[in-house]
Amino acid sequence: MASRLLVILLIVLASGILFGQQETLYMTVLNSRKHRLGARDNPTVGLFVSTDAGTSWQHRGWRGYIRTFYSEVGPDGTIWSACGNGVLQSTDNGGRWRIATGWEITEVLKVKVDPSNPAIIYAVTAYGIFKTIDHGKIWYEKNVGFQNPFTSDVLVDRSKNLQLFAATEEGVFRSRDGGDHWLLAGLEGKGIRTIVQDPKDFNKLYVGTEDDGFCLSGDGGNTWNRSNEGLQHRTVYAIAVDGQNSRTIFLGTHGGGVYRSLDGGKNWEQKGVGLKNLDVHSLVTLPSNSQTVFAGTLNGGLYRSTNGGESWEFNSQEEAQVWGLSVR
Amino acid sequence: MKKIVFICTMCLSFAVSSNGQSPFEQRRLQLLEVASVERERGFQTVTAKLLAGRDREYALTMLDSLTSDEAIGGMFYSYSLIGCYLHTRVVLPDSLRKKVRSAYRNRTMYRGDTENHWVTYYTGLYLAAQTWPHQDGTEWFNGKSSSENFQESTEWLNHWIRMSARIGQGEFDSPTYISVFITPMLVLYDFAQDPQMKRKAQMMLDLLFADFAVEHLKGNYAGGHSRDYPEDIVNPLAAPSTFWAWLYFGEPEFAPWSEARFRPRHRGAWEPLFGAVSSYRLPDIIYRIATDRTKPYVQTKTKRVRNIIRFGAEKNPPVFKYTYMTRHYALGSLQGGILQPIQQHTWDVTYASGKPYNTLFTLHPFFSGKELAMFFPEEQKFLSDEVDRYHKVYTNPNKWNSSSPYEQTFQHKNALIVLYNIEQGAIHPHIDGFFPKNLEQRVVDKSGWIFCKAGDTYMAFFPLKPYEWIEEEINWRWRSHELKNGAVVEIGSSTADVSFDRFRKKVSASIPLFKNFEENLTVQYTTRMGDRMKFTFGGERVLNGKHVDFARYRFFDGPYLQSEYKSGIITMLYKGSKRVLDFNEVSITE
Repeated sequence: MASRLLVILLIVLASGILFGQQETLYMTVLNSRKHRLGARDNPTVGLFVSTDAGTSWQHRGWRGYIRTFYSEVGPDGTIWSACGNGVLQSTDNGGRWRIATGWEITEVLKVKVDPSNPAIIYAVTAYGIFKTIDHGKIWYEKNVGFQNPFTSDVLVDRSKNLQLFAATEEGVFRSRDGGDHWLLAGLEGKGIRTIVQDPKDFNKLYVGTEDDGFCLSGDGGNTWNRSNEGLQHRTVYAIAVDGQNSRTIFLGTHGGGVYRSLDGGKNWEQKGVGLKNLDVHSLVTLPSNSQTVFAGTLNGGLYRSTNGGESWEFNSQEEAQVWGLSVR
Repeated sequence: MKKIVFICTMCLSFAVSSNGQSPFEQRRLQLLEVASVERERGFQTVTAKLLAGRDREYALTMLDSLTSDEAIGGMFYSYSLIGCYLHTRVVLPDSLRKKVRSAYRNRTMYRGDTENHWVTYYTGLYLAAQTWPHQDGTEWFNGKSSSENFQESTEWLNHWIRMSARIGQGEFDSPTYISVFITPMLVLYDFAQDPQMKRKAQMMLDLLFADFAVEHLKGNYAGGHSRDYPEDIVNPLAAPSTFWAWLYFGEPEFAPWSEARFRPRHRGAWEPLFGAVSSYRLPDIIYRIATDRTKPYVQTKTKRVRNIIRFGAEKNPPVFKYTYMTRHYALGSLQGGILQPIQQHTWDVTYASGKPYNTLFTLHPFFSGKELAMFFPEEQKFLSDEVDRYHKVYTNPNKWNSSSPYEQTFQHKNALIVLYNIEQGAIHPHIDGFFPKNLEQRVVDKSGWIFCKAGDTYMAFFPLKPYEWIEEEINWRWRSHELKNGAVVEIGSSTADVSFDRFRKKVSASIPLFKNFEENLTVQYTTRMGDRMKFTFGGERVLNGKHVDFARYRFFDGPYLQSEYKSGIITMLYKGSKRVLDFNEVSITE
């Protein structure tokens, strides 16, 4: 009896570990509508982690408001958080934290880890892009070529070594030398909010814009086209692509909730059943089960869909600003 | 033994000083006395109680509570805690010293997103790292060692001081936030062990007070302001700056806490307590500059816009200030446009008065997510509502503070032209003027001028377009709905004009010219002193036929305070006295 229990326990533990290693969700809560200046009962904000597909969430790290926008985990397991205080780093799964940057780096909106090298990290800030190649010890400013350095997102191209794309207020910029130099790649003058790469076809790039909807490139960023058929809400904050079927794309919009395309971004359909807050700032699909999609809203908390976006249920963090979502 | 000596010394100095020292000493001790009986929890009141030797147990309980309450933290907490600790550590029990230390290990210390946030954050971190050196990152909330924290704080404080002394503050001349620039500098001056940093803190204090002094009128912080709250804009003596004016300049004559109508409403009202217990002493020359109003003068200043992170070609464009100061009133202005988000106060006349609401001004109540997104990194469509949550009136059409792209000014001494060119379709398409109800006279003259009298100050206001009066609790709201609009303002006084009737007669003889204003947006006006002003919205400012060039503005220019832009050398002058702050050499010469 005891040995059978032990076996079951080992299986449960093993599956948990495997599950956790394969698929951990990171939710970054910037703030909450419940927050009041000077109040003593303000809700906990910052980083929340789930290893069970959003069934439960555990808080990690600083509990107070430091303007945490986004968190991501590198291939080596280091958690990086983009914050007002700079870039935060934890190498023990959120037990202890260190601010990896100095006073020069602030208002960090995103932090992206090079998938091929966990020592290379890009901090995307209101003052441009900063890069470290030694796991956060030294940071270098990488803004040569930007007209205005304000950057919302950066994409590390998985198909071409040292190629990056930046989402700026002046359009999409490309660097072919790891960020040393930037050139306008397209959508000149457009405010770009987010940029992602198709998980199957690396030549396909997708961007969400301020007021110009969804745009895509099918040739690795050389040419760009708007694709807004059916998209009534043209400010797109977030894009998630189904890892198993990349013709399914989700958009998080301002005022329109979630839109879904089943044809690779040609046509869009609003998918808002159950979604009580329609300002969606972050999106993620589960790699293991692409029917499960999470939508982080501005002031409405986190929603989850288990049917590919057809309908949504509130999941966590009532009235919170779920600014960032990522999965590893 | 050390504790007994400390307590005896403090009580002795308290008792001896009370017997009548300088007026500043008396005010300082009066403040210490009042703050020491305050029951509300706060680091300043704990400091006051412990230094005055009053309510020791209650003070320790307060400090215990402040260091136990994990719900509080951040930049204001950090510098106040270390200030309190360094002033009182000799009398603190070991258990409380440990709790203070652990706060810098366990608390969330947000660095913030404004200039005052960073000054308080890095001052707190600097002094904490200095106090507990040689400790590794596990002992600090941010994972950095004492030496790393000390170095980072030193670097940023040096950066801020260098910038403030050369191109000015982004949060300039704020009647509210002056408190959280002065207070950390006081604590830094008192406790920085590095003589260079101590000297820099002293020089920053001199600069902050001199900057205030040239626009100080009987306790009021006159002129255009950044970061000004509506309650203080309509009632200038309610601002926290009044507390500092009382402590260091001796004006107003009443203590700020003694009259309910003037009592500062802001939290942290006891911040000047750190001035009362500081070893910093205001140089006499600054006191003289702040209080001598025998001769009218013009003071100009150059400041900077806080960091523009997007939608702007320049990160910190200059702000041009102009203030005309007399013994009865001050007329002051910024050039207009968006110079800072949310809490800009572009122009007003502030007059010396025994009554509250001693001011008159106009504005366009602009708001925009895009305006906010120039300064904050969050999404522009999200920002207006978010800012409204904390600054309750941001989107309100009746608000009394605003930075509007549709507003521009041109001032010459006691005369000002303010023009508005509001875009078709703009939200809140009107301009408002604040006219206090307690004016002694408010007369609409057939010439088109509106004349107001408040004590010795006479105000003339000429609206270019039709308007209405809306009666409110403390004021008449002057409102005009025309999009292309403006007003001409001229101020006089019993000293300059002998009587209100004579002032009215002189001013009403001069009617502003604004023919074809809809097309040319140009106004010409000849002041009662004969100066010819011509102003075009978005165009030239011309005085007596000569183009007014903001590019020629110095950092400070006036009879008492002078500096070349970006020189880092500030000169104070008063009669035969001179004090020079040289931020390049970190030296003070007299």
